[in-house]
Amino acid sequence: MRTSLQAVALWGQKAPPHSITAIMITDDQRTIVTGSQEGQLCLWNLSHELKISAKELLFGHSASVRCLARARDFSKQPYVVSAAENGEMCVWNVTNGQCVKKATLPYRHTAICYYHCSFRMTGEGWLLCCGEYQDVLIIDAKTLAVVHSFRSSQFPDWINCMCIVHSMRIQEDSLLVVSVAGELKVWDLSSSINSIQEKQDVYEKESKFLESLNCQTIRFCTYTERLLLVVFSKCWKVYDYCNFSLLLTEVSRNGQFFAGGEVIAAHRILIWTEDGHSYIYQLLNSGLSKSIYPSDGRGLKETIYPHLLCSTSVQENKSRPLVMGYMNERKEPFYKVLFSGEVSGRITLWHIPDVPVSKFDGSPREIPITTTWTLQDNFDKHDTMSQSIIDHFSGLEDGAGTAVVTSSEYIPSLDKLICGCEDGTIIITQALNAAKARLLEGGSLVKDSAPHKVLKGHYQSVTSLLYPHGLSSKLDQSWMLSGDLDSCVILWDIFTEEILHKFFLEAGPVTSLLMSPEKFKLRGDQIVCCVCSDHSVALLHLEGKSCLLHARKHLFPVKMIKWHPIENFLIVGCADDSVYIWEIETGTLERHETGERAQIILNCCDDSQLVKAESVLPVASETLKHKSLEQRSSSPYQLGPIPCPGLQVESSHKVADVKFFPRPFSVLPVKIKWSNVGFHILLFDLENLVELLLPTPLRDVDSSSSFCGGEVLRRAKSTVEKKTLTLRKSKTACGPLSAEAQAKPTTESLAQGDNTIKFSEENDVIKRQKKMKISKKMQPKPSKKVDASLTIDTAKLFLSCLLPWGVDKDLDYLCIKHLNILKLQGPVSLGLASNEAYFSLMLPGWDLCNTEMIKDCSGVNLFSRKVLDLSNKYTATLPNQVGIPRGLDNNCDFLQESNTLVYLLSRLFLVNKLVNMPLELACRVGSSFRMECVHKKVRSAGNDILNMSSFYNCSQNGKNASHVPEADLSLLKLISCWRDQSVQVTEAIQAVLLAEVQQHMKSLGKIPVNSQPVSGAENGNCEMKQMLPRLEWTEELELQCLRNTLPLQNSSRIPSTA
Amino acid sequence: GDRTFLQEEEFRWLLHDEVHAVLRQLQDILKEASLRFTLPGSGTEGPAKQENFILGSCGTDQVKGVLTLQGDALSQADVNLKMPRNNQLLHFAFREDKQWKLQQIQDARNHVSQAIYLLTSRDESYQFKTGAEVLKLMDAVMLQLTRARNRLTTPATLTLPEIAASGLTRMFAPALPSDLLVNVYINLNKLCLTVYQLHALQPNSTKNFRPAGGAVLHSPGAMFEWGSQRLEVSHVHKVECVVPWLNDALVYFTVSLQLCQQLKDKVSVFSSYWSYRPF
Repeated sequence: MRTSLQAVALWGQKAPPHSITAIMITDDQRTIVTGSQEGQLCLWNLSHELKISAKELLFGHSASVRCLARARDFSKQPYVVSAAENGEMCVWNVTNGQCVKKATLPYRHTAICYYHCSFRMTGEGWLLCCGEYQDVLIIDAKTLAVVHSFRSSQFPDWINCMCIVHSMRIQEDSLLVVSVAGELKVWDLSSSINSIQEKQDVYEKESKFLESLNCQTIRFCTYTERLLLVVFSKCWKVYDYCNFSLLLTEVSRNGQFFAGGEVIAAHRILIWTEDGHSYIYQLLNSGLSKSIYPSDGRGLKETIYPHLLCSTSVQENKSRPLVMGYMNERKEPFYKVLFSGEVSGRITLWHIPDVPVSKFDGSPREIPITTTWTLQDNFDKHDTMSQSIIDHFSGLEDGAGTAVVTSSEYIPSLDKLICGCEDGTIIITQALNAAKARLLEGGSLVKDSAPHKVLKGHYQSVTSLLYPHGLSSKLDQSWMLSGDLDSCVILWDIFTEEILHKFFLEAGPVTSLLMSPEKFKLRGDQIVCCVCSDHSVALLHLEGKSCLLHARKHLFPVKMIKWHPIENFLIVGCADDSVYIWEIETGTLERHETGERAQIILNCCDDSQLVKAESVLPVASETLKHKSLEQRSSSPYQLGPIPCPGLQVESSHKVADVKFFPRPFSVLPVKIKWSNVGFHILLFDLENLVELLLPTPLRDVDSSSSFCGGEVLRRAKSTVEKKTLTLRKSKTACGPLSAEAQAKPTTESLAQGDNTIKFSEENDVIKRQKKMKISKKMQPKPSKKVDASLTIDTAKLFLSCLLPWGVDKDLDYLCIKHLNILKLQGPVSLGLASNEAYFSLMLPGWDLCNTEMIKDCSGVNLFSRKVLDLSNKYTATLPNQVGIPRGLDNNCDFLQESNTLVYLLSRLFLVNKLVNMPLELACRVGSSFRMECVHKKVRSAGNDILNMSSFYNCSQNGKNASHVPEADLSLLKLISCWRDQSVQVTEAIQAVLLAEVQQHMKSLGKIPVNSQPVSGAENGNCEMKQMLPRLEWTEELELQCLRNTLPLQNSSRIPSTA
Repeated sequence: GDRTFLQEEEFRWLLHDEVHAVLRQLQDILKEASLRFTLPGSGTEGPAKQENFILGSCGTDQVKGVLTLQGDALSQADVNLKMPRNNQLLHFAFREDKQWKLQQIQDARNHVSQAIYLLTSRDESYQFKTGAEVLKLMDAVMLQLTRARNRLTTPATLTLPEIAASGLTRMFAPALPSDLLVNVYINLNKLCLTVYQLHALQPNSTKNFRPAGGAVLHSPGAMFEWGSQRLEVSHVHKVECVVPWLNDALVYFTVSLQLCQQLKDKVSVFSSYWSYRPF
């Protein structure tokens, strides 16, 4: 888990598809939450005027979202739980989009109800779940572990819908459910809490057959505590809650399907249909019935009949199915809102009047649509934020219109981004430059200087790309493969831009290109596997420029490719769980198996390749799948209904692979299911960036003041060596411990082994090829310099993205002038990664969700209003004299600049670490053993900082100044305080950055005040510990971190003192 | 040019006519399949009819069972077991008042009815607007059908303690002897009954105690802990019988899955029009 990963999303002009499958409004009526078939959740801002604007997209589910529900008392914690088609459950904090808790259980839920009974229950409450299993499952809202279940003694079956009935009269909560067979069941809820906690079986109190199928909703009238509304797909019924006698049946007309309903007031109900119509009825008593059943044993039998008061107006051509909900007002400024979410991604709101009435003539009144909005509206309205990463380049070509990127691939070793476009062109750019041109003001300058290549060979939309060298270093660096809609695959030399070969497969669009594993070779070479949309698989031999095999018998889409190295078999797993075994040499189908045998065959080879044709995120992991299978056999969920066997993580996606290499900057192309729309995420690894930057000033010191450098290094070496035990190997490689390490570190971590970085390869080809030959063994001198400047560039882009531009115009100017960074064109879509597979991305126009609060600014890159507040608090706590280092000598601008960058970044890294710490803890609270692990983990993480910074102390020859402990302490307290107030990481980082930059700009005019030097950092630490013996371990750690980072500011004094 | 115009026309026809034709065909097949499961309320009201199945194995006749299936429930069971050692004949049967739900059948039935519901909500009057919409519907239907099929083809892998704790063992009168375990499940088109004979492991036994994991069918020698006792499976008897309507249902599932995939393939040909709205 790399918490130091910061993300920036570069959307395209088309919004990612969001086919709404679940919708809810939070209790404060400020946020609409939707879940989609694609697996993402979207948070929409709902203003006081009932205006909608999409704010954030949450990634985490790898399958369609089935249901959403409140997961806590919303006034205390703004948590929402989502459940997906494959058994995944996530609890999200909807104010900041963070995934708080996740679990994958072998149950598929279709509805969830939150239940908490504060005076009888400890903990955070229960999630009562129903779905594709018998009866009702009780899941702990905090841990997402199965607590127990409510069981049926009669006719156990799947449950369609449920509601919790809280009766004021009898002070007792009950759970009402309707099964798929139409059986109504009632369980005592509040009085069974103890039995459930003691794991005793609780059976239904009552049950009744309702004689209708496909129940959609069951609702209790809280106003009269008398009526029960049950909506089925073909009729809706009203029952008397006291004895479950039927009072009213209303059958659907004109083939409409009912989808839900709600009791909106006493004797007033709202019913909606599957095609988005809704009707408000007044339930009237009919006196007639009293005389019809006068002799009924239980007294008078009343019947009621509905009178249509209002209907809502509907836009024509709604896409089905849609999901609807109704929310009642709780307090004064709130509204009664009916809302719907469509498969097309459209949200519609109707403001329901407090007292709905029909027209004077008695005919129903029409309630107009209050608001309607889609994701695409956000993208159209904020088009500066919704440009794709290569819009600039494609625009250059023909001037009119921009190309839609249909596939893309990032090559980390070359920092190149390859984008295949709808018109068949392929654009290759330097990723960092492209990002700069897209994001920064004056991007046109960067654009002109940023070289890019356009490869023309396809006549149809490019659907998939493969860079073989990225998968196996033995393969030619210049090769790149692209496949198009017309099943043409082209082998390119990306350096010469030549077409080496064209394969014509005649098999429909190419859906994915895969490389055989290194150990699998045919005729001495690895081969490429090309999966086409007619479900055929072609094997391409690149060296021989030939197609070895075209396997065409598959009836279902190819899901998995496996290689049998010894017998030269290609094993193809299809979506219908059948397996085809092909003999590669002869091209014959050796075997075709289904069912159990197919499973055995697929499981026997380990190196499977999942075909990623429809995955949300490109990196899929196979390990998870097997794990979930193993877990099942020893599942502890015996107590509940029998888990659905065969339910497994069908596919899983991770932002960062297990094999994720630390890299300061990388680009992640993302593609959404069922569409050709994709976008890019820029990932900045703050930790790695700081690591790479730290040596830089030293190196410069070394060159500028040679006579003190040696001494510095020796001391540095000795101190760091003491701590090598705690250092990980990768860290040591990055630290500038010795002379030879100086030359290597950046290249090593950037290039991963022998890949040589040629950032200057846009020069002519001959020069490049010569260089390539040489660079295998010898690292050309200038490349180190280029690396350094690349790192600096990355750091600058990162700061540009984070700075709250537009808050203070003067400050903007100063930043551009003194930090030498460029201003953003507009607010960027920042992202937040909760962990490797769960992250949230801001959508274009997210900034407008804040403008309600900051009326005067528009286009301000301010993450939230809180940031200014936090920033002020931080500034107030900063000791006066603390500022960013600046060289007294104005000649070494670069040195000063990079020092400032290093200082700012390390500060941000620290804040990031501090704010993230409790999250790590919170996730693992429960077992003391794990606590210990975390304890160690955090410590070692802290040690990293310690090492980095204490190294710094030494580099300054022990002459660094110690800082007024009170000031440090208060800063530290402040940040811990933020942590406890659940300030978001991004907020904290932006606030600290703003404060530090302000401070820096202020100090530019002043001469820094020297504080008293103290003998050594270690001593200082000891003293601190003694001074504060009662501090918690975390605080102690933080203190160390903070203390050790602060001296950074003095680093630039070395040349001056020398 | 002309080519794109023709393609557009064809795509329009596909969304307007062909999709609905396939959906109707799918509905017919699945309704036929659901009749096999005797869905309550699907025309045939009243209690589902009872079917008797005589379970045996071709090899030995040590275990014989007569199971009565009523819809998704086992309403009666008569099991005769000839003990291998002394040839003593054991007979046990279900209590009169009890039924045992075969969850595999219930789940498969429910998945089918969900698939039918998905299809019926898009009747002829509904206009599909994009190809992606059809793909999503087909994916949702196929998901339900695949699950329905998998429910029948992959019986639950249970551990021995799970079988011992299952309610099935408490269904019998007289109560099942403590050294016997019984499990009933569906495997493809067959109704299967397994009887495990157990013997206790001595506490001072030199045998290495390794509890067996989950399995559909445990083999002799599998060990487990139950209560305070350590037990070992000494004999396993498995008998089965083909349920003809399960066979029909499986065929219907396969056919409808292929129909769905063919429709998806047809739509995918026009994948360049995914975002294109002809209407």
